[in-house]
Amino acid sequence: MLKEGMELIDAHFKGEGMSRRDAIKVFGLGGATALMATGTTTEVRASGAKGKILIVGGGLAGMATAAKLTNTLDNPDITLLEPADLSTSYQPGQTLVAAGIWDKEALVYKRDDFLPSGVTLIKEKAVEFDPKNNTVKTSGGQTIKYDYMIIAAGLKLDFSKIEGLGISETISSTGDHSAVDKVIGKNGLASIYFQDGSADTWTEMQKFIADAKSGKKVKGLFTHPNTPIKCGGAPKKIMYLTDARLREAGARENAELIFYPNGSKMFGVPEYHNAIQKQFEERDMKWNYRHNLIAVDPDGKTATFNRHWKEKGAWDEDLEEYGIEIKSKEVTVPYDFMHITPPMVAAEEIGKSEIGSGKGWVPVDKETLQHIKFPNVFALGDIAGIPMGKTGGSARKQYAVLVDNLISLMEGKDLTARYDGYTVCPLITSIGTVMLAEFNWTKKPTPSFPLDPSQERWIWWLLKVYALKPMTQYGMLSGRA
Amino acid sequence: MKKINLALISASAMLLFVGCGGEGSAGDKITYSKSAKEVYETSCKKCHGDNGEGNVKKKAPALNDRQAGELELDLYDVKNGGLNQSSATEYDVMEHNMQKLIAKGYDYDPKAMAQFLEKSFYKKSTPVTEAPEAPAEVAPETPAETNASN
Repeated sequence: MLKEGMELIDAHFKGEGMSRRDAIKVFGLGGATALMATGTTTEVRASGAKGKILIVGGGLAGMATAAKLTNTLDNPDITLLEPADLSTSYQPGQTLVAAGIWDKEALVYKRDDFLPSGVTLIKEKAVEFDPKNNTVKTSGGQTIKYDYMIIAAGLKLDFSKIEGLGISETISSTGDHSAVDKVIGKNGLASIYFQDGSADTWTEMQKFIADAKSGKKVKGLFTHPNTPIKCGGAPKKIMYLTDARLREAGARENAELIFYPNGSKMFGVPEYHNAIQKQFEERDMKWNYRHNLIAVDPDGKTATFNRHWKEKGAWDEDLEEYGIEIKSKEVTVPYDFMHITPPMVAAEEIGKSEIGSGKGWVPVDKETLQHIKFPNVFALGDIAGIPMGKTGGSARKQYAVLVDNLISLMEGKDLTARYDGYTVCPLITSIGTVMLAEFNWTKKPTPSFPLDPSQERWIWWLLKVYALKPMTQYGMLSGRA
Repeated sequence: MKKINLALISASAMLLFVGCGGEGSAGDKITYSKSAKEVYETSCKKCHGDNGEGNVKKKAPALNDRQAGELELDLYDVKNGGLNQSSATEYDVMEHNMQKLIAKGYDYDPKAMAQFLEKSFYKKSTPVTEAPEAPAEVAPETPAETNASN
């Protein structure tokens, strides 16, 4: 029944299109209302548990957690550390801004508008962690004592790992971008991974398209680094959108578009990998696997990659097989337009502290989200050291699990809530189509709907462009869903 | 208008589904023919050592310096060829070896293996004090294999 209805809608609107007004009515207001009215998405659990809770980070994950704790606890005592005024901004929209579909203003959410009442905000960041004594020191020199701590500090974009850009500092997706904006967002270099950069990407993309339209043969490169990244699909989405805008301008044949990922797959889930590779072929979008961007010459407009490959190695007696050897060489490629997905890291003051780990990410049990060394510390969102994830869709599942487990701990009960690795990538494949790639740690598609998840659909475009933002704003940031 | 109503119903249903999505679709449970201990003792220890201490000559990193949560992340990385869509694994060589070992029947549950490693080896590498007061200084992650990335 649902399947038929949805197929019908998808087919119908694919043919006829839907006005923006109607779409907003149906997917924005309608969806949000439905969410609010039913309230079935959240189990209401009142708790009289007590304790001073410190949340480090006021992005989507930290703020949703604060809201749900406020809704659940009778006497919440919550302090939230967040220095950036726009920390809560809607990052999934950055792809749409970069393709000229939304204005940058649509992304800007002010932290203070989403702070649940009763939560004490300190506009500073945590700079020192002493988890044995349950204290944190802030950038303003305060020492905060806590009973329970939640790390939701997100991650840092580290352009400094790429030589030649002249960048030495890491940045966050919102906030001060002066460390990078002299070079990223100029002269054909773009990155949608920070708010200002997404608007600049659209400016640079338009120049690229204008060149192609004027008859010039142009080359666009799209990179994917060797670190875990937030929104693993975005490096490809921006490529699909460039392809779509070029076609719209009638200039596609003058542009060569190439994806340069460090890995050798489009996606970890074979079904999605195959679907994406086919979509690339249909659009004449090329790829060169196993290329990691290591240097850029912004004036000469060339990119240097570490190209690495496997060769048969010596006989390995322990393995009783031939081993492999990794070979590599540097490859330099000229570009007219390049979208850089920067390497991503945990903030140093967290990664190198006692609550961090060898790789920086906060090590937690991947199902309960409890710290592996300090039972009164939890982590979620981009900074959590768990496989996959690093999307708003994962954070949306995590915060409910985390709050449930934290309250159980406060009440002296067993931690029973489990995160299953669910994450979702609404992979934009053109203006008007999205493949809704949902999956979890089983590495199998885990669709929420009875539709073939490897298909590009108009209905998911509506979900991405009209429904997910109000769902985040009214559902998640209020701690309801 | 009728179409819009239909769309609205579906959209609402859809959002409810998204709201509780993921559950019940967790995929098949994998069963393993050997326990984590058996796999370690018949295979892993040839290179990673009797006590998970590693072997520089064989380019096998130590496994006794990390607790289960961290180990599980690395094991997941190795077994899946990466944690992310197109980032690739940090452990190219072991990814290759792992596939060969799985084919020979040395497959394991990453969580069970991580717990086995922590329980058997982690404490032995640290001065025994009242846990978790003195967690081992976590050594910087240096995968012994050339991982062809800077």
